[in-house]
Amino acid sequence: MNKLTLIVLLLFGLGITSNSKKVIARQGQVSFFSYTSVENIKAENNQVLSIIDLEEGTIAVDMLMNAFVFEKALMREHFNESYIETDIYPKATFNGRIEGFDAQQQGTQVKIIKGAFTMRGVTKDIEIKTKIENNNGGYMLSGTFETFVKDYNINIPPLLAGNIAKSIEVNFKFEYQPYEN
Amino acid sequence: MKIKTILVGCLLVLGSIQIATAQDDLQDILDREQNKTSDYVSPAFKMTRVAFGHSTEVRNQGVLELFTATRFWNFPGDRSESFVADKVTTRIALEYGITDRLSFGVGGTTFDGLFDGYLKYNLVSQNKGEKNNPFNITLFQGASYNSSSIPNPLVADDFSDRLGYTTQLLVSRRFSPKFSFQVAPTFVHKSLGLSNADNNNFFALGFGARYKLGPHLELVSEYYRTLNPIDSFNTYDPFAIGVNWEVGDILIQLMLTNTRNMVEDTFITQTRNNFNFKDPNLHFGFNATYVFHLSNKLKKK
Repeated sequence: MNKLTLIVLLLFGLGITSNSKKVIARQGQVSFFSYTSVENIKAENNQVLSIIDLEEGTIAVDMLMNAFVFEKALMREHFNESYIETDIYPKATFNGRIEGFDAQQQGTQVKIIKGAFTMRGVTKDIEIKTKIENNNGGYMLSGTFETFVKDYNINIPPLLAGNIAKSIEVNFKFEYQPYEN
Repeated sequence: MKIKTILVGCLLVLGSIQIATAQDDLQDILDREQNKTSDYVSPAFKMTRVAFGHSTEVRNQGVLELFTATRFWNFPGDRSESFVADKVTTRIALEYGITDRLSFGVGGTTFDGLFDGYLKYNLVSQNKGEKNNPFNITLFQGASYNSSSIPNPLVADDFSDRLGYTTQLLVSRRFSPKFSFQVAPTFVHKSLGLSNADNNNFFALGFGARYKLGPHLELVSEYYRTLNPIDSFNTYDPFAIGVNWEVGDILIQLMLTNTRNMVEDTFITQTRNNFNFKDPNLHFGFNATYVFHLSNKLKKK
């Protein structure tokens, strides 16, 4: 009987954790770079959403692909219309978990985030080394990773193959604030 | 002992469900938040022209376009000694985005000796979300000077007599990712008619459409209906069907059309062939645009 009470209590406890504390970033920055000898392409999105469940250590990111702005104005139109086809695939999302995340630890910690990244309907498992800074509950995540254009079935005309790098460098920076339901 | 095993099992199952729902919850929260943001709709037309006429699209600030348009056609007859085509006309123009909404262009045409310039202002861009605009609206004002020699001594041909003006209200909508449509009420004042008896003011209605065939390729068609055509000659409504192909900074348009003129006031009022596949009515058209970006800044539009 004692064991049963214990289990009930455990279940109860789990119920509490599901309403756990979350932090959200509404103006996250994601930028990407493509370096080739022919042309450098740079784009930035300052409206990326991200949320972290501090107790679970889970993280989600949601970005609208048409919010990317480019150094060369016409590239935004090409990016949306010809490459990402944002009418059909408006978003890119990431769902993952921060491995060994300690929400209480102050200062800087470097962790691996493992999860699934979805873009143009293609989902890839990725691991990203991320710097996490915690200043009294104000969390900031930043990092860099590389991703391959060919993984996402992006149609690049052979004439332009030299203008777009095979591997794209992605930088991100999110500043979180407490999230209230 | 058995009860304990069952309960531990239940606990594990419940726990894993809760973790799974926690993941979904995060994505659901972001979905709700996302509805409050971006309202960008891709332009209805990719190029500043549908085929021969202007589209609602204007270029951003600091974008310079070198625009070349050529039309080829043959004379009727069995024998022709010409290389490729009997006749060719070329218009070369420079077009520049002064601001993100206002652009201007100047050009010259070889065949009809027309020098032209225009200003184009994008009044409204199609948007969804809070600022819900169902249409793109662009104002177009063009002027041209006819430099060709006029053999008829009865026609007055002072500088002001050689000018032509076109005013257009271009209205377009991107109905779906693949399909866009444009309507263009047009007013043309042409000081120089083909004869003195002809009127100088014309009203026309233009229609243009785009259908996306693939990521870089689209099918386009354009037609202008002149409501009060001139009397001294038979004129026909200009029509074109073609494909637009985009490769980065190079934009290419290929078309079949019945008009050899490339300035609005002339092709709307003085197209003298109907659209069919007989020489010299069929014109093959080729527009190539090279885009220069003169100010490379990350734009916050």
